[in-house]
Amino acid sequence: MNFIESDEQLMLRESVAKIASKYGHSYYVEKAKNNEKPVELWNELATNGYLGVNMPSEFGGGGMGIYELAIVLEETAAQGCPLLMLVVSPAICAPIINQFGTSELKNEFLPRFATGELIMAFAITEPDAGSNSHNLSVTATKDGEVYRLNGTKYFISGVDEAEAILVVTRTSVDESTKKGRLSLFVVDTNSKGLDRQILPVEITAPEKQFTLYFDNVEVPASRLIGTEGDGLKQVFQGLNPERIMVSAMAIGAGRYALAKASQYARDRRVWDVPIGSHQGLSHPLAIAKINLELASLMAKKAAWLYDNSMDAAEAANMAKYSAAEAAIQALDQAIQTHGGLGISTEVGLADFWGSVRLMRTAPVSREMILNFVASHSLDLPKSY
Amino acid sequence: MNVVVCVKQIPDPATPGEMDSQTNTLKRDGKLIMDDSDSYGVEMGLQLAEQAGGGEVTLVSMAQDGETSGLRTALAMGAAKAILVSDPALKGSDALSTAKALSKAISRANPDLILMATESTDGYTGTTPVQVAELLGLPSVTFAKKITVDGSSIKVERQTEAGYDEVTCPLPAVVTVTAGVVEPRYPNFKGIMDAKKKPVEELTVSDLGLDVSEVGSSGSRQEVFEIVAADARQAGEKVVDEGEAHQKVIEFFEQLKLI
Repeated sequence: MNFIESDEQLMLRESVAKIASKYGHSYYVEKAKNNEKPVELWNELATNGYLGVNMPSEFGGGGMGIYELAIVLEETAAQGCPLLMLVVSPAICAPIINQFGTSELKNEFLPRFATGELIMAFAITEPDAGSNSHNLSVTATKDGEVYRLNGTKYFISGVDEAEAILVVTRTSVDESTKKGRLSLFVVDTNSKGLDRQILPVEITAPEKQFTLYFDNVEVPASRLIGTEGDGLKQVFQGLNPERIMVSAMAIGAGRYALAKASQYARDRRVWDVPIGSHQGLSHPLAIAKINLELASLMAKKAAWLYDNSMDAAEAANMAKYSAAEAAIQALDQAIQTHGGLGISTEVGLADFWGSVRLMRTAPVSREMILNFVASHSLDLPKSY
Repeated sequence: MNVVVCVKQIPDPATPGEMDSQTNTLKRDGKLIMDDSDSYGVEMGLQLAEQAGGGEVTLVSMAQDGETSGLRTALAMGAAKAILVSDPALKGSDALSTAKALSKAISRANPDLILMATESTDGYTGTTPVQVAELLGLPSVTFAKKITVDGSSIKVERQTEAGYDEVTCPLPAVVTVTAGVVEPRYPNFKGIMDAKKKPVEELTVSDLGLDVSEVGSSGSRQEVFEIVAADARQAGEKVVDEGEAHQKVIEFFEQLKLI
């Protein structure tokens, strides 16, 4: 048992933090407001090999795990610039392709995931399916050497910066259970018949959300991941890393908020003492710090379990739940600590609210996690 | 082009330093980090070795208790190996004792060029580099902002108050590098993962052929008698503008010979 990160992990943290601190939250907000992408930050991290830390070394990656990738995301978030596409591209898409894809698919995509050159979006959510992934309506029908995709996806992040999308489809229905049999495809973003529409959200982030319309989109059969109908198992492979990464992003955002709040509470004097000496402000910040540290421990446990090929589902769910709640609490208290300034653009806290609050809902809602823990960890009857 | 870069491992300047009340010197018991001002020398050494198309950077450092944590960053940046002089007898070394140990260690690497920072962030004497040059019998050029290798000599742009001097100097030589002249690279992930595999040769005082009486507190000619707090800075002169303020500002600049 050891709770001390290795020298390599600490150096990775330090290096990513140094790079991200050159950019900072104002860079991130400016990119979001100008409809631009954080390309410079992404590229600088990519050049140093930090975006492919979890890719196998035979494909040019760092040969480490989701733990190290989570460090990269946490440290960018802690500087106020969380790179959302790190959750999607190297954490969900790449491991699915690595574990289930043909060697052609691996050779085509993994080396470019490793360099950070390739950004791939992930499309699972649909207007009518919600959290019920069995009930997907986007279909893929085999037609000779190709599959034809039809249907609608929404809340798909970063499609405008992605070269391709990993799309979850239904290829058939299990007659006995009436559940859809899922299959995953790598679909080029510029495919004919694939239209996208921006889905406006109240989040200040460079990454945009999209609705995708598939109208008979032709995808070569060679772009099918693994065996047709095996998609559910593949999706589950991507979900734990997603939760671990979102936890890291939340913890980083929470650290960002608490750092600002404690700095302000030390410096700001009303009457003759710093406001941080009042327990009305110091205690809530201390509680937020405790909850953030607890969430961080659980996220590290989940990453460790995943990297050691053990069942990480329970830990990843608990980490995501607690990290999102801790981040929301930290940001809320940081805003409160700043008084009216907490809402100002200059301080750079209130603009984070949409992103941080979203983590209670996405990628899996607080309630679905509680359902999982109730039935899985406590053996309570399922409600659905 | 084999370059030795001297790297000092110092207590983290971000944490408040503690003084030893017996010796009036800085306590160095905790975790040490690489002096940030050395990262410029490391970067310049790496660039010169790369431009020469061969050769490598060797780090030379001196620290208590075999401490290497401050060397790992420079190894991760791309230095090939390190020589660490570590011996309890070195405790209490002044600049000259340090220079004696460093120069012996440097000569083992047989370098074409030795790079050092102009001064360390914890000691600030700025004297060690020239002492090292003297002990090695080599020329020294200080305050380099640019180094160009030309066969068996180097051309150095040497920062001065007025601008810079161009100095040509035969190799091998000791050159001190000012901060901010190159952008030190971040260790890439491969570098981070490889750093631990790189050799760090640990040497004692006797390995270097020195006698313990020549180094450490026994070899030091310097003694710190007292530490006193620096005088508080005097408040500046406040100029209130009643239509004549510009004249006062001009006079002030003239006094400073700025205009």
